[in-house]
Amino acid sequence: MPSVTIKAPMESQDASTATAAASHSLITFLQSQSQNMLTRLYQKPSACLSLFRLLRPLERQLVMNLLWLDLSIPPSTMAAWVTREGKKPYQDALGTLARLHILPPSAAKLALNPTFKSGLRQAITGGGTSGSFGVLAENDEKHPAPEIEALDAYALERWETILYYMVSSGTGQFPAKPSAGVLFLLERSGLMASVHGGALQITSAGFQFLLHPPHVQLWELLLQYLQMAEERQMDLVEVISFLLMLSTTELGKDYSTEKLSATQKAMLEDLRDYGLIKQRTGSIGIPKATSRRFSPTRLATTLTSSSPPLPTSAGSGDGTHAQGFIVLETNYRLYAYTDNPLQIAVLNLFVTLKSRFPNLVIGAITRESVKKALANGITADQIISYLVTHAHPQMRRNKPLLPVTVQDQIRLWELEKNRMKSQEGYLYTAFASQADYEYVLNYAKQLDVVLWENASRRCFFGSLEGHANIRGFIERRQTAGNA
Amino acid sequence: MSKRAAEDSSYPSKRSRKGKEDDDYVDVDNFEAVEIESPPDTPAASRGAKINFSALTRKLAEARQARESEDGREGSSLSAHRRQQDALVSHIFQEQDFSWLHLKPDHASRPLWISPEDGHIILEAFSPIAEQAQDFLVAIAEPVSRPAFIHEYKLTSYSLYAAVSVGLQTEDIIEVLNRLSKVPVPDSIVDFIRERTLSYGKVKLVLKHNKYFVESSHPETLQILLKDKIIREARVHSQQTDNSIRAATFTTSKAPVKGNLVIPGTKEAEKKKDDAANAKNGSKTDAELFTSVVGVDNDEVEEDDDNVHAFEIDDAKIDDVKKRCNELEYPMLEEYDFRNDTINPNLDIDLKPSTVIRPYQETSLSKMFGNGRARSGIIVLPCGAGKTLVGITAACTIKKSCLVLCTSSVSVMQWRQQFMQWSNVTDKQIAVFTADQKEKFAGESGIVVSTYSMVANTHNRSHESKKMMEFLTSREWGFILLDEVHVVPAAMFRRVVTTIKAHAKLGLTATLVREDDKIADLNYMIGPKLYEANWMDLAAKGHIANVQCAEVWCPMTPEFYREYLREQSRKRMLLYCMNPKKFQACQFLIKYHEDRGDKIIVFSDNVYALEAYAKKLGKLYIHGGTGQTERMRILQWFQHSPEVNTIFLSKVGDTSIDLPEATCLIQISSHFGSRRQEAQRLGRILRAKRRNDEGFNAFFYSLVSKDTQEMFYSTKRQQFLIDQGYAFKVITHLDGLEDLPGLVYKSRDEQIELLSSVLLANESEADLGTDVRAGEGDLAGTITSKDFGMPTKMPSVQRTTGSLTALSGAQHMSYVEQNKSANKKLAREAPSRHKLFAKRDKDMAAARKEARAAAGGKG
Repeated sequence: MPSVTIKAPMESQDASTATAAASHSLITFLQSQSQNMLTRLYQKPSACLSLFRLLRPLERQLVMNLLWLDLSIPPSTMAAWVTREGKKPYQDALGTLARLHILPPSAAKLALNPTFKSGLRQAITGGGTSGSFGVLAENDEKHPAPEIEALDAYALERWETILYYMVSSGTGQFPAKPSAGVLFLLERSGLMASVHGGALQITSAGFQFLLHPPHVQLWELLLQYLQMAEERQMDLVEVISFLLMLSTTELGKDYSTEKLSATQKAMLEDLRDYGLIKQRTGSIGIPKATSRRFSPTRLATTLTSSSPPLPTSAGSGDGTHAQGFIVLETNYRLYAYTDNPLQIAVLNLFVTLKSRFPNLVIGAITRESVKKALANGITADQIISYLVTHAHPQMRRNKPLLPVTVQDQIRLWELEKNRMKSQEGYLYTAFASQADYEYVLNYAKQLDVVLWENASRRCFFGSLEGHANIRGFIERRQTAGNA
Repeated sequence: MSKRAAEDSSYPSKRSRKGKEDDDYVDVDNFEAVEIESPPDTPAASRGAKINFSALTRKLAEARQARESEDGREGSSLSAHRRQQDALVSHIFQEQDFSWLHLKPDHASRPLWISPEDGHIILEAFSPIAEQAQDFLVAIAEPVSRPAFIHEYKLTSYSLYAAVSVGLQTEDIIEVLNRLSKVPVPDSIVDFIRERTLSYGKVKLVLKHNKYFVESSHPETLQILLKDKIIREARVHSQQTDNSIRAATFTTSKAPVKGNLVIPGTKEAEKKKDDAANAKNGSKTDAELFTSVVGVDNDEVEEDDDNVHAFEIDDAKIDDVKKRCNELEYPMLEEYDFRNDTINPNLDIDLKPSTVIRPYQETSLSKMFGNGRARSGIIVLPCGAGKTLVGITAACTIKKSCLVLCTSSVSVMQWRQQFMQWSNVTDKQIAVFTADQKEKFAGESGIVVSTYSMVANTHNRSHESKKMMEFLTSREWGFILLDEVHVVPAAMFRRVVTTIKAHAKLGLTATLVREDDKIADLNYMIGPKLYEANWMDLAAKGHIANVQCAEVWCPMTPEFYREYLREQSRKRMLLYCMNPKKFQACQFLIKYHEDRGDKIIVFSDNVYALEAYAKKLGKLYIHGGTGQTERMRILQWFQHSPEVNTIFLSKVGDTSIDLPEATCLIQISSHFGSRRQEAQRLGRILRAKRRNDEGFNAFFYSLVSKDTQEMFYSTKRQQFLIDQGYAFKVITHLDGLEDLPGLVYKSRDEQIELLSSVLLANESEADLGTDVRAGEGDLAGTITSKDFGMPTKMPSVQRTTGSLTALSGAQHMSYVEQNKSANKKLAREAPSRHKLFAKRDKDMAAARKEARAAAGGKG
């Protein structure tokens, strides 16, 4: 299910078999939080359900096994089910659950955290009136809930504005600016940086960000938001539970703001800027007159699911976005079925674009274009994995997916950049005698820290790590000699 | 304006304003004014105006979009936002942004886009109707690149000329293009096609019943020509015309149709006429699919205008008329109505019954004989795909005297041999004209095989050659076959074409690329390109071998690289050829492939390197200095002995040496950035005997020294093949190279020794192809001559800087002859057969002799 993560470069070549994907970034974040905080979070059934959805399959399996047990079971019972090969993943899963305080570590018994257990049970069976899944707003004749299409358009516009702002910064163009809150977030997350106090410029992290799938991008920003929330003295539990609640809401429905806490109400404004929710503002630019209802967009409702976070009909209107739109040929030519300016701008990061038709962009992967991308901090593997994830269905019949020659060449261009290796260290010179020199050199060789030596000049170069030892050695020898 | 619905985001203004129903995007209102402004007098000016015109189209479309985006603001903010971003990316494409073109609603089922600016056509090769579309595009446009999924073509003047000459009509071209295209054919392209096809191919020069006729299906065109004084004077008035108004009209007849002409060796010939009809039915399903989309029945195209008009012209004034027509921009297509030619005697030859030609060869021939006459033109097939057979089949179809011209005397012999192999031509009917052999055929018709230079040479002729030339020029040839047309200098060509009187000309080549872009000349001298095969297609169908191409990067050793950087002269080339790492890579690859059971050819343009490599690695080699007997011996050993699996060849092996045993090719030095050489060398393994074995792959390696000019040349060389869909894999590291037993130049001392010998080498050693000397009758630089001429090494003065120790041999120099030529060993060993076999040979020879004597006695 939610296995959308940044895969390791080698894994990305066969994305389909990458089942042992890393944990979701939110899970990783929560593992570092205190037990107290997590327990408060688990009080919300919606949070329990959403987190459950973010867990890896094996972890989900474990939780499901224990969920309906009223008594605890000894760990050996559970371990008996595990095959020998499964030992390691099993231990990993237990570790993750323990750090999340879902399954407190104990040698004697295995039992779910009672708060989490009741929360998840409630989420599954229904009941309770906590309103943790959001409270639907009452039907209002005057303001009917917005159409799904309008919501999608809104989400897309907001989201693309952010990305497009990033991609076109520094190109001498002035696209629409996202709101100040978004800009601040981008700067804080290191995706953009202000150069000499001037306008914001995209950083190499930002370039890499652009090549990620939207789901990953979204969570990257939201995690940054969580970190900022901590600094702004917002209650992290409220923030997270609100996000998780949004992920369980239904697209195309209006929700009421009445049950929300003050923190959560404050969040609405930020989330509006990211395109996660749509809220009618009274008149342009006056936030006070905001409506008391809000509608989550697709970006929000898919936060913890595996369905695409952006409407599939984005781009050219024939669903190519979801299926992939890039054809890469052995002659380094690239044909992209798209009319989406954002996709074109992203392609422009590493492709020399030549011409464009209403639904097709033609370019070529050239040495210059790849060099430019590498200079921006994008790696060859990122380019390749972008091409793989967006490959046209026709390409999928190929094995391997991308022409090997082109892949290799992109990697070779990257290697070209790294032909010089630098290593810090110390040059040892001016030895009094050949014997001295050889003696110290031998010692250094035993430590395996010699990088270069020249016997005729009686000098050698040692790495940084070895310096303290060599220095000590020489000093000891000197004192011994003096004595 | 604001009432306009926002959902029709991009192009509503056209619809609402004009209410036009058709797909045509162009908004006529806006453009009429422009057209009037452009001065229609001179073609150059109008063309200029056309470019502005298309630019203007775009501007207007942009302006409209901008207007649109203002209107749409209150509607969907998303579309406004999209448009705004769109404006920001469009700068990337500059002049090449055609997003303003209007996609047809059913664009998904149509396979191609047409660029309004430069006539590029982009084809989805995975579309269900791609195959038909490809057939059509090959006829009207030049293929630019044809890899797996998306092909590119380009409309050019020549390609359209070719299209017209194979019988396509202007309006049909436009119509079919429009049906296939996702976007309406841009006006600029329609104009271009009209302009180019207006005059081209409208006039044909036909020899019918031994009278020359200027023929056209457009009487108006003939009227235009007749207004010219020279042409009018050349016209012969036939007697039946009275002096009435009819005098101005022309003889009108049915347009020629293919009729019952059967190309020998084709399916039709095999099954005869009645079965042919069935065959057509079989392919109907595809054709129907095509027709349903394209909507033009191909038969209709051909029979559109079935009347042709003609007037006769005087034989003596043919050249004047031709020249004049070219000046008038009505170049004449030459067609030869050989079935109605009664003056030139028939040549009774046919393909042997066992000879069957392949489908693509049939296609190419059908383009040539499409209307029952022989069209002049060029057929492009990959090396190894059977160009020779196409030529022979054409000759057997025309059945008139035939002259074959090729580039070297080796090819002459090969052509002769192939003629004998595939057709039933007799020894007496085929003659050879080279520097050594000057034969004439017996009887009144026959075949002569010769070289370009033999025919084009005007001075220093021996008496015999002169007499032979008189023989060639005095007669009328039905057919002239021109082999490897891309290598022949234009001037030489002109001389050949003007001195020999031939009715039909066919050029054959594998690579219609020239580094000097003289392709255009061929178009006018021979004729348009009739057919060009798709390499990948042929490989997929097993007609040529599948090839794995690889470029092996060999790092320069520090010592070699230092000298490389220091050296300014041609010697740099020698340094990167002789790079010890390259030596090792070469050794490793030879070992690897010999162990797999491959037969390997190693190519080196540089003779010095060739000898050094071959001697060091103990392999046989052939270069220009290798004598004829030695050469034949080496080739035979390579072909038949399991012990000789590798030979080294210099440039002499680039073309014409036919070694179907070879399955692996390694290239260590080559001719700069020549795309043609690369393609030709690849051609050496395309016809590998084992190509149809399951999973068989031929291998093509290019060894390049890293960080030298070679890298640059290598990239350039590969371009042609890459555009044909080949992929060059880069190998930076050969696994297990270091562990190879007996690896050469392993130690630094050995490498330095090699370096010093390279530095001592004469500068002229760095020249490429020094061994190849053109004999009489061979084209300089292109050839594989039988008698290369002994390499005359002039004792040139040589200055080198070197220390005395080096010269006296104290510095890594040795005088032991370590690198003996393996050739010599072979020569010594060759005669030593086992006693038993020697005896058997002797007996057999004796038996043969007796038999001959007996036969002679009887006779």
